[in-house]
Amino acid sequence: MTDNIKRCTKCVLSASFPNINFDENGVCNFCRDEMYHTADEDVLDKSKEEIIRRFESGKGKSQYDAVMCYSGGKDSTYTLMLAVEKYGLNVLAFTFDNGFISPVAFENINRVAESLNVDLLTIRPSLKFMKKLIRASSFNPVYTKRTLTRISSNCNSCITMVNILALRMALEKKIPFILAGFTLGQIPLNTIIYKNNYRFFQDSRKPILDKLRKAVGDEIDKYMCIDEPLLDSVTEDPYNVNLLCIEEISEEKILEKIRKTGWTQPEDVDGCSSNCRLNAFNNFIHEQTLGYNPYELELSHLIKNDLLTREEALEKIQDKSETQVNAIIEELNITPDELSSLKEIYKKK
Amino acid sequence: MAYTRDEIFNKLSDFVAQQFIVEKDEINMDESLIDQGVIDSLGLIEITTFIEKQFGVTVVEEDMTRENFGSMNKMVDHIFRAVNK
Repeated sequence: MTDNIKRCTKCVLSASFPNINFDENGVCNFCRDEMYHTADEDVLDKSKEEIIRRFESGKGKSQYDAVMCYSGGKDSTYTLMLAVEKYGLNVLAFTFDNGFISPVAFENINRVAESLNVDLLTIRPSLKFMKKLIRASSFNPVYTKRTLTRISSNCNSCITMVNILALRMALEKKIPFILAGFTLGQIPLNTIIYKNNYRFFQDSRKPILDKLRKAVGDEIDKYMCIDEPLLDSVTEDPYNVNLLCIEEISEEKILEKIRKTGWTQPEDVDGCSSNCRLNAFNNFIHEQTLGYNPYELELSHLIKNDLLTREEALEKIQDKSETQVNAIIEELNITPDELSSLKEIYKKK
Repeated sequence: MAYTRDEIFNKLSDFVAQQFIVEKDEINMDESLIDQGVIDSLGLIEITTFIEKQFGVTVVEEDMTRENFGSMNKMVDHIFRAVNK
Protein backbone atom coordinates (compact mmCIF):
# COMPACT_ATOMS: atom_id res chain seq x y z
CA MET A 1 0.00 0.00 0.00
CA THR A 2 1.29 3.48 -0.78
CA ASP A 3 0.29 7.04 -0.06
CA ASN A 4 1.51 10.31 -1.51
CA ILE A 5 3.51 11.23 1.57
CA LYS A 6 7.30 10.98 1.48
CA ARG A 7 8.30 8.48 4.15
CA CYS A 8 11.42 6.66 5.33
CA THR A 9 11.91 3.52 3.26
CA LYS A 10 12.43 1.38 6.40
CA CYS A 11 9.91 2.81 8.91
CA VAL A 12 6.88 5.08 8.48
CA LEU A 13 8.26 8.43 9.66
CA SER A 14 7.28 11.07 7.13
CA ALA A 15 9.13 14.08 5.78
CA SER A 16 7.07 16.37 8.04
CA PHE A 17 8.29 14.70 11.25
CA PRO A 18 10.44 17.18 13.25
CA ASN A 19 14.20 17.21 12.56
CA ILE A 20 14.00 14.26 10.17
CA ASN A 21 16.48 13.72 7.36
CA PHE A 22 16.95 10.91 4.87
CA ASP A 23 20.13 9.36 3.47
CA GLU A 24 20.63 8.48 -0.22
CA ASN A 25 18.61 5.28 0.26
CA GLY A 26 15.69 7.16 1.78
CA VAL A 27 16.46 5.83 5.28
CA CYS A 28 15.75 8.31 8.09
CA ASN A 29 17.98 9.38 11.00
CA PHE A 30 15.70 7.54 13.48
CA CYS A 31 16.44 4.23 11.71
CA ARG A 32 20.14 5.17 11.58
CA ASP A 33 20.07 5.53 15.39
CA GLU A 34 20.95 9.21 15.21
CA MET A 35 17.69 10.49 16.68
CA TYR A 36 15.44 9.42 19.52
CA HIS A 37 16.37 6.06 21.07
CA THR A 38 13.30 3.96 21.82
CA ALA A 39 15.15 0.76 22.69
CA ASP A 40 18.28 -0.06 24.66
CA GLU A 41 18.89 -3.58 26.01
CA ASP A 42 20.71 -2.32 29.07
CA VAL A 43 17.91 0.07 30.07
CA LEU A 44 15.29 -2.60 29.40
CA ASP A 45 17.12 -5.22 31.49
CA LYS A 46 17.62 -2.81 34.38
CA SER A 47 13.96 -1.73 34.25
CA LYS A 48 12.84 -5.36 34.26
CA GLU A 49 14.99 -6.15 37.31
CA GLU A 50 13.73 -3.04 39.11
CA ILE A 51 10.09 -3.85 38.39
CA ILE A 52 10.39 -7.41 39.72
CA ARG A 53 12.28 -6.22 42.81
CA ARG A 54 9.80 -3.44 43.60
CA PHE A 55 6.75 -5.67 43.03
CA GLU A 56 8.18 -8.27 45.41
CA SER A 57 8.76 -5.75 48.18
CA GLY A 58 5.60 -3.70 47.58
CA LYS A 59 2.98 -6.44 47.22
CA GLY A 60 0.36 -7.17 49.86
CA LYS A 61 0.83 -4.04 51.94
CA SER A 62 -2.33 -2.15 50.95
CA GLN A 63 -5.92 -2.81 49.97
CA TYR A 64 -4.67 -2.95 46.35
CA ASP A 65 -1.16 -3.50 45.00
CA ALA A 66 -1.77 -1.43 41.91
CA VAL A 67 -4.21 0.89 40.22
CA MET A 68 -4.35 0.09 36.50
CA CYS A 69 -5.30 2.80 34.01
CA TYR A 70 -7.60 0.61 31.98
CA SER A 71 -8.95 2.03 28.70
CA GLY A 72 -10.32 -1.27 27.39
CA GLY A 73 -7.97 -1.10 24.39
CA LYS A 74 -5.82 -4.08 23.41
CA ASP A 75 -2.61 -2.87 25.09
CA SER A 76 -4.14 -2.00 28.45
CA THR A 77 -6.17 -5.23 28.39
CA TYR A 78 -3.00 -7.26 27.90
CA THR A 79 -1.19 -5.22 30.57
CA LEU A 80 -4.01 -5.91 33.03
CA MET A 81 -3.69 -9.62 32.25
CA LEU A 82 0.08 -9.46 32.86
CA ALA A 83 -0.42 -7.65 36.17
CA VAL A 84 -2.90 -10.21 37.46
CA GLU A 85 -1.72 -13.46 35.89
CA LYS A 86 2.04 -13.03 35.49
CA TYR A 87 2.89 -10.78 38.44
CA GLY A 88 0.08 -11.82 40.80
CA LEU A 89 -0.92 -8.27 41.71
CA ASN A 90 -4.19 -7.35 43.38
CA VAL A 91 -5.34 -4.68 40.93
CA LEU A 92 -7.93 -1.92 41.00
CA ALA A 93 -8.83 -1.26 37.35
CA PHE A 94 -9.68 2.38 36.65
CA THR A 95 -11.46 3.47 33.48
CA PHE A 96 -11.71 7.11 32.43
CA ASP A 97 -14.85 7.52 30.36
CA ASN A 98 -14.31 10.53 28.11
CA GLY A 99 -17.81 10.13 26.63
CA PHE A 100 -16.45 8.79 23.34
CA ILE A 101 -15.52 5.23 24.30
CA SER A 102 -16.88 2.69 21.82
CA PRO A 103 -19.82 0.67 23.27
CA VAL A 104 -17.95 -2.51 22.31
CA ALA A 105 -14.93 -1.29 24.28
CA PHE A 106 -17.17 -0.94 27.35
CA GLU A 107 -18.40 -4.49 26.88
CA ASN A 108 -14.72 -5.52 26.72
CA ILE A 109 -13.90 -3.56 29.89
CA ASN A 110 -16.67 -5.25 31.89
CA ARG A 111 -15.99 -8.69 30.45
CA VAL A 112 -12.23 -8.55 31.05
CA ALA A 113 -12.55 -7.13 34.59
CA GLU A 114 -15.04 -9.90 35.35
CA SER A 115 -12.87 -12.60 33.82
CA LEU A 116 -9.74 -11.46 35.72
CA ASN A 117 -11.77 -10.94 38.91
CA VAL A 118 -10.62 -7.35 39.48
CA ASP A 119 -12.50 -4.40 40.96
CA LEU A 120 -13.39 -1.75 38.40
CA LEU A 121 -13.91 1.96 38.97
CA THR A 122 -15.11 4.32 36.23
CA ILE A 123 -14.92 8.12 36.28
CA ARG A 124 -16.91 10.06 33.70
CA PRO A 125 -16.65 13.86 33.56
CA SER A 126 -19.68 15.69 32.17
CA LEU A 127 -19.94 15.56 28.38
CA LYS A 128 -20.24 19.34 28.27
CA PHE A 129 -16.86 19.68 29.99
CA MET A 130 -15.25 17.03 27.77
CA LYS A 131 -16.46 18.73 24.60
CA LYS A 132 -15.04 22.06 25.79
CA LEU A 133 -11.73 20.37 26.58
CA ILE A 134 -11.52 18.64 23.20
CA ARG A 135 -12.17 21.92 21.44
CA ALA A 136 -9.56 23.67 23.58
CA SER A 137 -6.93 20.99 22.91
CA SER A 138 -7.72 20.95 19.19
CA PHE A 139 -7.59 24.67 18.49
CA ASN A 140 -4.95 26.02 20.91
CA PRO A 141 -1.20 25.37 21.20
CA VAL A 142 -1.67 23.71 24.61
CA TYR A 143 1.25 21.28 24.34
CA THR A 144 4.75 21.79 22.98
CA LYS A 145 5.50 20.58 19.47
CA ARG A 146 7.98 18.12 20.95
CA THR A 147 5.36 16.56 23.21
CA LEU A 148 3.22 16.09 20.13
CA THR A 149 5.89 14.03 18.34
CA ARG A 150 4.46 10.94 20.02
CA ILE A 151 0.86 11.78 20.86
CA SER A 152 -2.03 13.90 19.62
CA SER A 153 -3.11 16.92 21.62
CA ASN A 154 -6.52 15.48 22.52
CA CYS A 155 -5.09 12.11 23.54
CA ASN A 156 -2.58 13.95 25.71
CA SER A 157 -5.35 15.87 27.50
CA CYS A 158 -7.21 12.64 28.28
CA ILE A 159 -4.04 10.83 29.34
CA THR A 160 -2.96 13.69 31.59
CA MET A 161 -6.32 13.46 33.39
CA VAL A 162 -6.03 9.66 33.62
CA ASN A 163 -2.53 9.97 35.10
CA ILE A 164 -3.49 12.56 37.69
CA LEU A 165 -6.70 10.76 38.70
CA ALA A 166 -4.81 7.47 39.04
CA LEU A 167 -2.12 9.19 41.11
CA ARG A 168 -4.79 10.72 43.36
CA MET A 169 -6.36 7.27 43.86
CA ALA A 170 -2.97 5.75 44.63
CA LEU A 171 -2.22 8.47 47.19
CA GLU A 172 -5.65 8.25 48.84
CA LYS A 173 -5.59 4.46 49.09
CA LYS A 174 -1.83 4.18 49.63
CA ILE A 175 -1.48 1.97 46.54
CA PRO A 176 2.22 1.50 45.73
CA PHE A 177 2.00 1.06 41.93
CA ILE A 178 0.25 2.75 39.02
CA LEU A 179 0.12 0.70 35.83
CA ALA A 180 -0.62 1.74 32.27
CA GLY A 181 -0.58 0.02 28.89
CA PHE A 182 1.92 2.26 27.12
CA THR A 183 4.41 0.81 24.66
CA LEU A 184 7.88 2.12 23.83
CA GLY A 185 7.54 4.78 21.18
CA GLN A 186 4.45 6.05 23.02
CA ILE A 187 6.55 6.82 26.07
CA PRO A 188 10.28 7.50 26.41
CA LEU A 189 12.67 4.64 27.16
CA ASN A 190 13.67 6.00 30.57
CA THR A 191 10.11 6.15 31.86
CA ILE A 192 9.33 2.42 32.04
CA ILE A 193 9.40 2.70 35.84
CA TYR A 194 9.65 5.93 37.81
CA LYS A 195 8.67 7.38 41.16
CA ASN A 196 5.73 9.72 40.70
CA ASN A 197 6.32 12.79 42.84
CA TYR A 198 3.45 15.19 42.09
CA ARG A 199 5.14 18.31 43.43
CA PHE A 200 8.31 17.78 41.40
CA PHE A 201 6.32 17.65 38.17
CA GLN A 202 3.87 20.39 39.16
CA ASP A 203 6.04 23.13 37.69
CA SER A 204 6.31 21.37 34.35
CA ARG A 205 2.53 21.05 34.09
CA LYS A 206 1.83 24.69 34.94
CA PRO A 207 2.06 26.15 31.39
CA ILE A 208 -0.43 23.50 30.18
CA LEU A 209 -2.79 24.03 33.10
CA ASP A 210 -2.74 27.80 32.63
CA LYS A 211 -3.74 27.44 28.96
CA LEU A 212 -6.47 24.92 29.72
CA ARG A 213 -7.88 26.96 32.63
CA LYS A 214 -8.11 29.94 30.30
CA ALA A 215 -9.99 27.88 27.73
CA VAL A 216 -12.27 25.68 29.86
CA GLY A 217 -12.26 27.29 33.30
CA ASP A 218 -11.22 26.04 36.74
CA GLU A 219 -13.18 22.80 36.31
CA ILE A 220 -10.00 21.39 34.80
CA ASP A 221 -8.46 21.42 38.31
CA LYS A 222 -10.82 18.59 39.34
CA TYR A 223 -9.04 16.30 36.89
CA MET A 224 -5.54 17.73 36.59
CA CYS A 225 -4.67 18.80 40.15
CA ILE A 226 -4.27 17.17 43.55
CA ASP A 227 -5.19 19.02 46.75
CA GLU A 228 -2.45 20.20 49.07
CA PRO A 229 -3.78 18.37 52.21
CA LEU A 230 -3.59 15.04 50.38
CA LEU A 231 -0.06 15.82 49.14
CA ASP A 232 0.98 16.81 52.68
CA SER A 233 -0.20 13.42 53.96
CA VAL A 234 1.99 11.44 51.53
CA THR A 235 4.69 9.33 53.15
CA GLU A 236 5.68 7.32 50.09
CA ASP A 237 5.22 8.23 46.42
CA PRO A 238 3.89 5.46 44.18
CA TYR A 239 5.81 4.07 41.21
CA ASN A 240 4.43 4.32 37.69
CA VAL A 241 5.17 1.09 35.86
CA ASN A 242 4.72 0.46 32.14
CA LEU A 243 4.79 -3.32 32.05
CA LEU A 244 4.19 -3.73 28.34
CA CYS A 245 7.48 -1.99 27.53
CA ILE A 246 9.50 -4.91 28.90
CA GLU A 247 7.58 -7.53 26.91
CA GLU A 248 8.75 -8.46 23.44
CA ILE A 249 5.41 -9.27 21.94
CA SER A 250 3.79 -8.59 18.60
CA GLU A 251 0.31 -7.12 18.20
CA GLU A 252 -0.83 -10.40 16.69
CA LYS A 253 0.21 -12.32 19.84
CA ILE A 254 -1.42 -9.72 22.11
CA LEU A 255 -4.71 -10.09 20.22
CA GLU A 256 -4.46 -13.86 20.39
CA LYS A 257 -4.02 -13.74 24.17
CA ILE A 258 -6.70 -11.17 25.00
CA ARG A 259 -9.32 -12.82 22.79
CA LYS A 260 -9.31 -15.67 25.31
CA THR A 261 -11.01 -13.31 27.80
CA GLY A 262 -13.76 -12.58 25.25
CA TRP A 263 -12.21 -9.28 24.09
CA THR A 264 -13.38 -8.17 20.63
CA GLN A 265 -12.19 -5.40 18.28
CA PRO A 266 -14.65 -2.47 18.08
CA GLU A 267 -15.67 -1.55 14.52
CA ASP A 268 -16.36 2.15 15.13
CA VAL A 269 -12.73 3.18 15.73
CA ASP A 270 -9.79 3.82 13.38
CA GLY A 271 -6.83 1.52 12.64
CA CYS A 272 -4.67 2.98 15.42
CA SER A 273 -7.21 2.58 18.23
CA SER A 274 -9.03 -0.30 19.85
CA ASN A 275 -11.33 1.63 22.17
CA CYS A 276 -11.85 5.35 21.42
CA ARG A 277 -14.17 6.86 18.82
CA LEU A 278 -12.28 10.17 19.06
CA ASN A 279 -9.04 8.75 17.74
CA ALA A 280 -9.68 9.25 14.02
CA PHE A 281 -10.65 12.88 14.73
CA ASN A 282 -7.59 13.40 16.98
CA ASN A 283 -5.27 12.10 14.26
CA PHE A 284 -6.99 14.26 11.67
CA ILE A 285 -6.48 17.37 13.82
CA HIS A 286 -2.81 16.42 14.39
CA GLU A 287 -2.19 15.86 10.68
CA GLN A 288 -3.86 19.13 9.75
CA THR A 289 -1.94 21.05 12.41
CA LEU A 290 1.52 19.49 12.18
CA GLY A 291 1.54 17.56 8.89
CA TYR A 292 2.20 14.05 10.19
CA ASN A 293 0.34 11.24 11.95
CA PRO A 294 0.86 11.07 15.76
CA TYR A 295 1.35 7.28 15.58
CA GLU A 296 4.34 7.43 13.24
CA LEU A 297 6.95 7.24 16.00
CA GLU A 298 5.26 4.41 17.91
CA LEU A 299 4.71 2.34 14.77
CA SER A 300 8.28 3.00 13.60
CA HIS A 301 9.57 1.75 16.94
CA LEU A 302 7.57 -1.47 16.47
CA ILE A 303 8.93 -1.90 12.92
CA LYS A 304 12.50 -1.29 14.10
CA ASN A 305 12.06 -4.01 16.72
CA ASP A 306 10.49 -6.52 14.31
CA LEU A 307 7.15 -6.41 16.13
CA LEU A 308 5.23 -5.05 13.14
CA THR A 309 5.90 -4.96 9.39
CA ARG A 310 6.11 -1.66 7.52
CA GLU A 311 3.09 -2.71 5.45
CA GLU A 312 1.03 -3.38 8.59
CA ALA A 313 2.02 0.00 10.02
CA LEU A 314 1.10 1.80 6.79
CA GLU A 315 -2.23 0.04 6.78
CA LYS A 316 -2.94 1.31 10.29
CA ILE A 317 -2.01 4.90 9.44
CA GLN A 318 -4.09 4.82 6.28
CA ASP A 319 -7.12 3.26 7.98
CA LYS A 320 -8.81 6.57 8.72
CA SER A 321 -12.52 6.85 8.37
CA GLU A 322 -13.89 10.13 7.08
CA THR A 323 -17.26 9.12 8.52
CA GLN A 324 -15.78 8.84 12.02
CA VAL A 325 -14.02 12.21 11.68
CA ASN A 326 -17.12 13.94 10.36
CA ALA A 327 -19.31 12.47 13.11
CA ILE A 328 -17.10 14.06 15.77
CA ILE A 329 -16.85 17.37 13.87
CA GLU A 330 -20.64 17.44 13.92
CA GLU A 331 -20.95 16.41 17.59
CA LEU A 332 -18.57 19.21 18.57
CA ASN A 333 -20.16 21.80 16.24
CA ILE A 334 -16.81 22.58 14.63
CA THR A 335 -16.98 25.10 11.79
CA PRO A 336 -15.04 25.05 8.48
CA ASP A 337 -13.30 28.28 9.58
CA GLU A 338 -12.05 26.59 12.72
CA LEU A 339 -10.72 23.68 10.69
CA SER A 340 -8.93 25.97 8.29
CA SER A 341 -7.24 27.73 11.24
CA LEU A 342 -5.44 24.52 12.32
CA LYS A 343 -2.32 25.05 10.18
CA GLU A 344 -1.70 28.40 11.87
CA ILE A 345 -1.87 27.21 15.49
CA TYR A 346 1.85 26.66 16.01
CA LYS A 347 2.89 29.34 13.56
CA LYS A 348 1.35 32.07 15.74
CA LYS A 349 3.81 31.37 18.57
CA MET B 1 33.38 7.51 38.68
CA ALA B 2 34.62 11.10 38.51
CA TYR B 3 33.52 13.37 35.67
CA THR B 4 34.70 16.85 34.74
CA ARG B 5 32.08 19.55 34.34
CA ASP B 6 32.68 19.54 30.56
CA GLU B 7 32.19 15.78 30.32
CA ILE B 8 28.90 16.05 32.22
CA PHE B 9 27.77 18.94 30.04
CA ASN B 10 28.59 17.06 26.82
CA LYS B 11 26.87 13.83 27.87
CA LEU B 12 23.77 15.62 29.13
CA SER B 13 23.46 17.93 26.12
CA ASP B 14 23.99 15.00 23.69
CA PHE B 15 21.19 13.14 25.47
CA VAL B 16 18.81 16.11 25.44
CA ALA B 17 19.51 16.89 21.77
CA GLN B 18 18.96 13.31 20.66
CA GLN B 19 15.98 12.41 22.83
CA PHE B 20 14.07 15.67 22.57
CA ILE B 21 14.79 16.12 18.87
CA VAL B 22 16.43 19.50 19.20
CA GLU B 23 19.69 21.04 17.94
CA LYS B 24 22.13 21.93 20.72
CA ASP B 25 22.44 25.52 19.53
CA GLU B 26 18.67 25.91 19.86
CA ILE B 27 18.90 25.37 23.63
CA ASN B 28 19.46 28.30 25.99
CA MET B 29 21.62 26.69 28.67
CA ASP B 30 20.55 29.17 31.38
CA GLU B 31 16.79 28.89 30.88
CA SER B 32 14.38 26.21 31.99
CA LEU B 33 13.96 23.44 29.39
CA ILE B 34 10.27 23.42 30.27
CA ASP B 35 9.88 27.16 29.69
CA GLN B 36 11.69 26.78 26.34
CA GLY B 37 9.25 24.04 25.31
CA VAL B 38 12.05 21.46 24.97
CA ILE B 39 10.63 19.07 27.57
CA ASP B 40 7.35 18.29 29.34
CA SER B 41 6.84 16.45 32.63
CA LEU B 42 7.64 13.11 30.98
CA GLY B 43 10.85 14.70 29.70
CA LEU B 44 11.76 15.67 33.24
CA ILE B 45 11.36 12.04 34.34
CA GLU B 46 13.49 10.98 31.40
CA ILE B 47 16.29 13.36 32.35
CA THR B 48 16.31 12.37 36.04
CA THR B 49 16.42 8.67 35.09
CA PHE B 50 19.24 9.38 32.62
CA ILE B 51 21.19 11.22 35.34
CA GLU B 52 20.74 8.29 37.73
CA LYS B 53 21.78 5.70 35.15
CA GLN B 54 24.58 7.62 33.43
CA PHE B 55 26.25 9.31 36.41
CA GLY B 56 25.10 7.09 39.28
CA VAL B 57 23.50 10.10 40.96
CA THR B 58 20.33 9.18 42.81
CA VAL B 59 17.84 12.01 42.56
CA VAL B 60 16.09 12.16 45.93
CA GLU B 61 13.06 14.29 46.76
CA GLU B 62 15.09 17.13 48.31
CA ASP B 63 17.10 17.43 45.07
CA MET B 64 13.97 17.84 42.96
CA THR B 65 14.01 21.63 42.92
CA ARG B 66 14.08 24.35 40.31
CA GLU B 67 17.45 25.34 41.72
CA ASN B 68 18.89 21.96 40.62
CA PHE B 69 16.81 21.29 37.50
CA GLY B 70 15.86 24.82 36.36
CA SER B 71 18.29 24.88 33.39
CA MET B 72 20.93 22.79 31.63
CA ASN B 73 23.72 24.60 33.49
CA LYS B 74 21.97 24.11 36.84
CA MET B 75 21.57 20.39 36.14
CA VAL B 76 25.24 20.10 35.16
CA ASP B 77 26.28 21.90 38.38
CA HIS B 78 24.03 19.63 40.43
CA ILE B 79 25.48 16.46 38.86
CA PHE B 80 29.04 17.81 39.19
CA ARG B 81 28.53 18.47 42.92
CA ALA B 82 26.96 15.05 43.43
CA VAL B 83 29.65 13.02 41.62
CA ASN B 84 32.46 14.89 43.36
CA LYS B 85 31.07 14.66 46.90
